[in-house]
Amino acid sequence: MFVAKDLAPLVPELFVAVSAMVLLLYGVFAKGNPTRTVVWASVLVLVVALVLVWQVPAGRQAVLSGMFVTDSFTAVMKSLVLIGSAVSLVLSVGFIRQEEMERFEFPVLLLLATVGMMMMVSANDLISLYVGLELQSLALYVVAAFRRDSERSTEAGLKYFVLGALSSGMLLYGASLIYGFAGSTNFTDLAKLFAGGHGHVSVGLVVGIVFLAAGLAFKVSAVPFHMWTPDVYEGAPTAVTAFFASAPKVAAMALFVRAIISPFGALVAEWQQIIILLAGASMLLGAFAAIWQKNIKRLMAYSSIGHVGFALVGLAAGTSEGVRGVVVYMAVYLAMTLGTFACILAMRQKNGLVEGIDDLAGLARTQPGMAFALAVFMFSLAGVPPLAGFFGKFYVFMAAINAKLYVLSVIGVLSSVVGAFYYLRIVKIMYFDAPGEPFLHPMPRELGVVAAVASLFTLLFVVFPMPILNGAAMAAKALFP
Amino acid sequence: MDALLREYLPILIFLGLAIGLAAVMGLVPFITARQKPDPEKLSTYECGFEPFSDSRKQFDVRFYLVAILFIIFDLEVAFLFPWAISLGEIGPFGFWSMMVFLGVLTVGFVYEWKKGALEWE
Amino acid sequence: MTIFHLIVFLPLLGAIVAGLFGRAIGDRAAMAATCVPMVIAAVLSWVGFYLIVHGGPVLVPLFTWIDSGSFEVSWALKVDQLTAVMLVVVNTVSAVVHVYSIGYMAEDPHKPRFFAYLSLFTFAMLMLVTSDNFVQLYFGWEGVGLCSYLLIGFWYERPSANAAAIKAFVVNRVGDFGFALGIMGIFLVFGSVSFDTVFQAAPTQVGKTIHFLGYDFDVLTTLCLLLFLGAMGKSAQLGLHTWLPDAMEGPTPVSALIHAATMVTAGVFMVARCSPLFEYAPTALAVVGVVGASTAIFAATVGLVQNDIKRVIAYSTCSQLGYMFFAAGMSAYPAAIFHLFTHAFFKALLFLGAGSVIHAMHHEQDMRNMGGLAKHIKITYVLMWIGSLALAGLPFFSGYFSKDMILEAAFGAHSTVGGYAFVLGMLAAVLTAFYSWRLLFMTFHGPRHEAHGHDAHGHDAHHEPHESPQVMLIPLYVLALGALFAGVVFAPMMIGEHMHEFWGKSILILENHTAMEAAHHVPLWVKLLPIGAGLLGIFVAFQMYIRKPGSGAALAKVNPGLYQFLLHKWYFDELYDLIFVRPAKWLGYKLWKEGDGRVIDGMGPDNIALRVAQLAKRAAGLQSGYLFHYAFAMLAGVAILVTYYFTTMMGH
Repeated sequence: MFVAKDLAPLVPELFVAVSAMVLLLYGVFAKGNPTRTVVWASVLVLVVALVLVWQVPAGRQAVLSGMFVTDSFTAVMKSLVLIGSAVSLVLSVGFIRQEEMERFEFPVLLLLATVGMMMMVSANDLISLYVGLELQSLALYVVAAFRRDSERSTEAGLKYFVLGALSSGMLLYGASLIYGFAGSTNFTDLAKLFAGGHGHVSVGLVVGIVFLAAGLAFKVSAVPFHMWTPDVYEGAPTAVTAFFASAPKVAAMALFVRAIISPFGALVAEWQQIIILLAGASMLLGAFAAIWQKNIKRLMAYSSIGHVGFALVGLAAGTSEGVRGVVVYMAVYLAMTLGTFACILAMRQKNGLVEGIDDLAGLARTQPGMAFALAVFMFSLAGVPPLAGFFGKFYVFMAAINAKLYVLSVIGVLSSVVGAFYYLRIVKIMYFDAPGEPFLHPMPRELGVVAAVASLFTLLFVVFPMPILNGAAMAAKALFP
Repeated sequence: MDALLREYLPILIFLGLAIGLAAVMGLVPFITARQKPDPEKLSTYECGFEPFSDSRKQFDVRFYLVAILFIIFDLEVAFLFPWAISLGEIGPFGFWSMMVFLGVLTVGFVYEWKKGALEWE
Repeated sequence: MTIFHLIVFLPLLGAIVAGLFGRAIGDRAAMAATCVPMVIAAVLSWVGFYLIVHGGPVLVPLFTWIDSGSFEVSWALKVDQLTAVMLVVVNTVSAVVHVYSIGYMAEDPHKPRFFAYLSLFTFAMLMLVTSDNFVQLYFGWEGVGLCSYLLIGFWYERPSANAAAIKAFVVNRVGDFGFALGIMGIFLVFGSVSFDTVFQAAPTQVGKTIHFLGYDFDVLTTLCLLLFLGAMGKSAQLGLHTWLPDAMEGPTPVSALIHAATMVTAGVFMVARCSPLFEYAPTALAVVGVVGASTAIFAATVGLVQNDIKRVIAYSTCSQLGYMFFAAGMSAYPAAIFHLFTHAFFKALLFLGAGSVIHAMHHEQDMRNMGGLAKHIKITYVLMWIGSLALAGLPFFSGYFSKDMILEAAFGAHSTVGGYAFVLGMLAAVLTAFYSWRLLFMTFHGPRHEAHGHDAHGHDAHHEPHESPQVMLIPLYVLALGALFAGVVFAPMMIGEHMHEFWGKSILILENHTAMEAAHHVPLWVKLLPIGAGLLGIFVAFQMYIRKPGSGAALAKVNPGLYQFLLHKWYFDELYDLIFVRPAKWLGYKLWKEGDGRVIDGMGPDNIALRVAQLAKRAAGLQSGYLFHYAFAMLAGVAILVTYYFTTMMGH
C-alpha cells in the first residue's frame, strides 16, 4: 500500500517542508546571525521547488486516498505561489536588516506558509483543505506580528489571528454541514454526487456552501469579510505586507476556485449568486474606500480587495473561460503587486521608511526610473490598455459577458473607472507635484531588479501574451474534465 | 438484557474498587498523619498565584509558554494511544507516518530547547 | 537565426541602444551604435537580394502575436523578390543617410535622440516591407508614421516644426482610417488577414457585392479603394499631399530618407504587394491611375515657382510618386517598383546634395539668397547635376530607364486612363526638367545674392560657403553611383525580357493587362519623346535663368493670377482650412465650452465626482479599527448571504 510512486506528486511540498526544518535547525545551531544565509537558501529552496513542480508526473494524479491532487491547474498556481513567495523574500532582504527584524525564523516561517499554500492549491478534500489553510494561516499570524516591539505590528497580528480563527470556525462549520448533508468530504466524490445536475440539493448543503465560501472569502479578503485587510496591511511590517498581498492571495484564490468548481461545479445555479454578491461588493468597496487613503499600504489593501473582486468575476462565470480569466488575472496581479511593493519598500528617507502617498511628490524629478516603474504599475492596476492589467480585466469580463452576467460586468467597469482615479492620482503626484524630501538614492539593487522585471512584464504582456494565456487555459481545462 | 448487564459487571467491580481505594487513601492521612496547618499550606496551589483575584492582574507570561509547550506534547501522547492500539492494522505505512510526525515534533523540540524556551531564568 | 533576422533587427538594436542609453554612452558611441549596425544591415540586404533572386522567396516565422477565435496574426518575415528590392532600397538609403547625418548634425545637441529615431524608423519600415499579413503591415505603417512625426518635429523648439509634424500626423490619419477600414473589410470578407490566404481567395470574390446603407458595393473595388486611401495619405497623393512640403521642416537627412526614398513610397509598395487584389478591381486601378497622373502634373506645376530649395525637391518627390502610382494603375507594377528603386537613389542624392548646399550656406534654404555657388562647392555641384540628369530622365542615367518605361506603359495601355496619364506624364516631364535646372541655375550660377541678417552661427557677418566634410560627401558618392548605374544594371532584370522570372509570384499581372508587354513595342517617337521633353525643359530653364535672367519674374508679373495660383499650391491649404479646419475648430470650441463644460461636466463628471467623493468618505469610515465591529461584519455578511439565498433561490 505504500509505494514511492504515491509520493512522486508530493515531492515539491516534501522538499520545501524538509528544507524548512533543516534551515530551522541550521539557524538555531549556527554561530553569529545566520539570517542572510537562511534567506537566500530559502529563495533557492523555492526556486528548486518551482522546478520540481514541473517535474511531477503529468496529468491528474490523486494520492493519499484522493486527498491530494496534482494537475496542470495546481502546477500553474503553485508556480505563481512559489514565484510570489520567492520574490517577497528577495524584497524583504534589505527591509528586515534595516528594521531590526533580522531573525532567521522569518524566512523559515515564510517557507512553512508556502508549504501550506501548496497544500491548499492541491487540496482535493475538505480536510486537506483545512490542514493546508491552517498551516499557512498560523505562519502568517506570526509574521504579521513579527516586530514584537511595535504596537502596530502586534495589533495587526492579533486582529488577524482573532478574525482568522473566526473565519476558520465558519469554514469548519460549513465543511461539517456539507459532510452531514452530502456524506463525503472528498471533492471527487462530491462532484460525482452532483454530476448531471440531478439529485436533490438540500438547504443544509447550500448553507454549508455559504459558510465554506465565507471562510474562503476571508482568506482572499472579499467584502464583507475584508475588514482585517486594511488594518493588517498597514500595521504589518512592509515586507510582510508585500508577502501577504502576493503569494497567499494567489493560493487562496486557487483554493477558492477549486473548492467551488471541483465539487460543486454542477451546482452553478446555487452558488453563482453568492459569488456575484461577493465580487460586486468587493469591486465597489475597493474602488470607493481607497480614494481618501493617505497611506500607500492601506491604499494597496483596498486595491487588493478590488482586484479580488475582479478575479471573482471570472469565478462567478463558472465556466472554463472564467477560470482561465481568474488565472490570468492572478498572474498579472502578482507581477503588478510585487513591482509596486518593490517601489514602496524603496520609499526610504533619512529617518527611515515612509508610507505616505504625499511622500511620493515629485518623484519623477528625483528618481525618474522608479517613478516610471511605479507609474507603469499604477496604470496597469487601473487597467489602462495596453498594459497587462487591462488584459487581466479583459479576460474575466469577457467570460462574465459570455455567461450573461451583464450587471456584474457593468459594475466592474464602473468601479474600475472610479478606481482609476486613485491610481492616476499617484501618477499625478509623482509627475506634477513639487518634490519634497527625496528618497535615499539609489534604490537597493534587489528592489530595482524586481521593479524592472515586473514593469517589463507589465509592458510586454501585450506582445508576448501567449505563454500566460496558454498556461491559464491549460490550468482551467484541468478543472473541467 | 441480562447478558448486556453482565457485560458491564467488570466495570461495576472496578468502579467499586476504585471508590473504595480512593476513600481509604483519602481518609487514612486524616487519621495517621501529623497535622500542623499554616496559611500557605491551606491555600489552593495554582501555579504560584491567587486562584481568585482581579482578572487584569499581571502575571508572568512564561506560564503560558510552558502551558503551550505542554499542550503540544500532551496532544502528541493523545495521538500515540490510538496509533499504538491499531499499529497491527495500519502496517509499515502507519508506523513510518508516526515516525515522521515524531521527527517533526523533535525538530520543534530541539529548536525550543536551543532557543532556551525551556529554561525558567 | 537567418540573415533576414539580422537585416530587420539590427536597426532596432541600434535604436534601443541609442535611444535608451544614448545619454549614458555619449554622442560618439550612440552614433557608432546606430551607424555600424545600419551599414552591416545594408550590406546584408544586398546579400539577401542576391539570395532571393537566385533562391526564391523565403518565409521566416517569428512568433504568434494574437490568437483570438478565428482571428490569428503571426509575426513573420515574408521575403520575396518585391520585399528584397525594398530591403535593398531602405537599408542602403538609410545607411547612407545615417553616415551623412554624422556630418550634417555635427552641431546638434540631441544627436543620440536623432539617430535613435532614424534607426527606429528604419526598423518600422523594414517591418512594413517584410510583413506577411495586413496587421503587421499596419504595425509598420503606423510605426513609420510615428517616426516621421517625431523626426519632422525633431527641432521641437520651433513652432513651425511642431505644426508641420502635427499636420503630417493628422493628414495621414485620414488615409490610415481608410486603410484600417480596408483591413477590417478584408477580415470580414476573407476571414483572414494573412496575405497568402487573402490573395488566393481574391478571384472568388470577383463580382460579389456588399450591401451597405442601402447600396450595393463591389467587394474588391471597395476594399482596394479603401487600401488606396491609406496609400494616398502615406505617399502624399493629390488631396492628401498637403503634409509633404511642410514636412521639410525636419532635418534634411530625414527628408532624404523618409520623405523621398522610403516612407512615402510605402503606398506604392503596398499597391504592388496587393496586386492580386487590385488586378481584379479594374475600377480601383483606374482611380489609382487618374490620381497618380493628376498628382504628377499638379506637383510639377507647383514646383515651378517655389523658392525654398527643399520644397522644390519635395514637390518633385510628390510628382514622381504620381508617376509610380499611375504606372501601378496601368498594371505596370514592375515599372512602378523599378522607378521607386531608381528614384530612391537620385532623389536621396538631390536631397542630401541640397543638404550639403544648406550646410555650406549655414542653414539658408531660400534659393533667392543663393547663386554662384558652383565655384565654392564644386563637388556638390557636380553631384547635383548627376541627380538632376537622372531625375529629368536623360539617357543612360537611371531615371531614364524607369521613367521611360512608365510613360511607354501608359501609352501601351491603350485606354482612356492610359492616354490621360501619358499626356500629363509627358507634360510633367517637361516641367520636371525645367524646375530641376531652375534650381541648379538659381543655386549655382549667376551672381551671388548675399543673405542679409541671417547668421545662425554668430560668426562674422561674412563668410565664404564651404564644401562639406568627407563624411557627408562619401554618402553622396554612393548615391551618385546608384543614380548613374542603377538603371542600366537592373533594368534588364526588373522591367526587361526576364521580368517575369525576376518577380516570380510576388506580383500578379493578369493575362489581359498587357501594358508592360505593349510598352516594349511602342513606336519610336514614344520612346524618344521623354528625352525631348527633358531637353525642352532644360532649354527653357537655360533661357530664363542664364540667357535672360529676370525673365521669370517678368513672366510672373504678366500672369499674376496663374503665378499666385501656383505659388499658393492651387490653394489646397486655404481650401482645407476653410472647409475642415475652421468649422472643426468652431465646432470643437462650442462642444468644449457648451457641450462639455456646461452640459456634460456640469451634470456628469463634476457631479459624479462629488458624489463619489462623498461615498468614498463613508466607505472609508466603515473601517473603525475595532475588532468586534469587524467580527460583527463577518457574521452579518454570512447572515446576509444566507438570507439572500433563501429569499431569491427558494422560488425554484
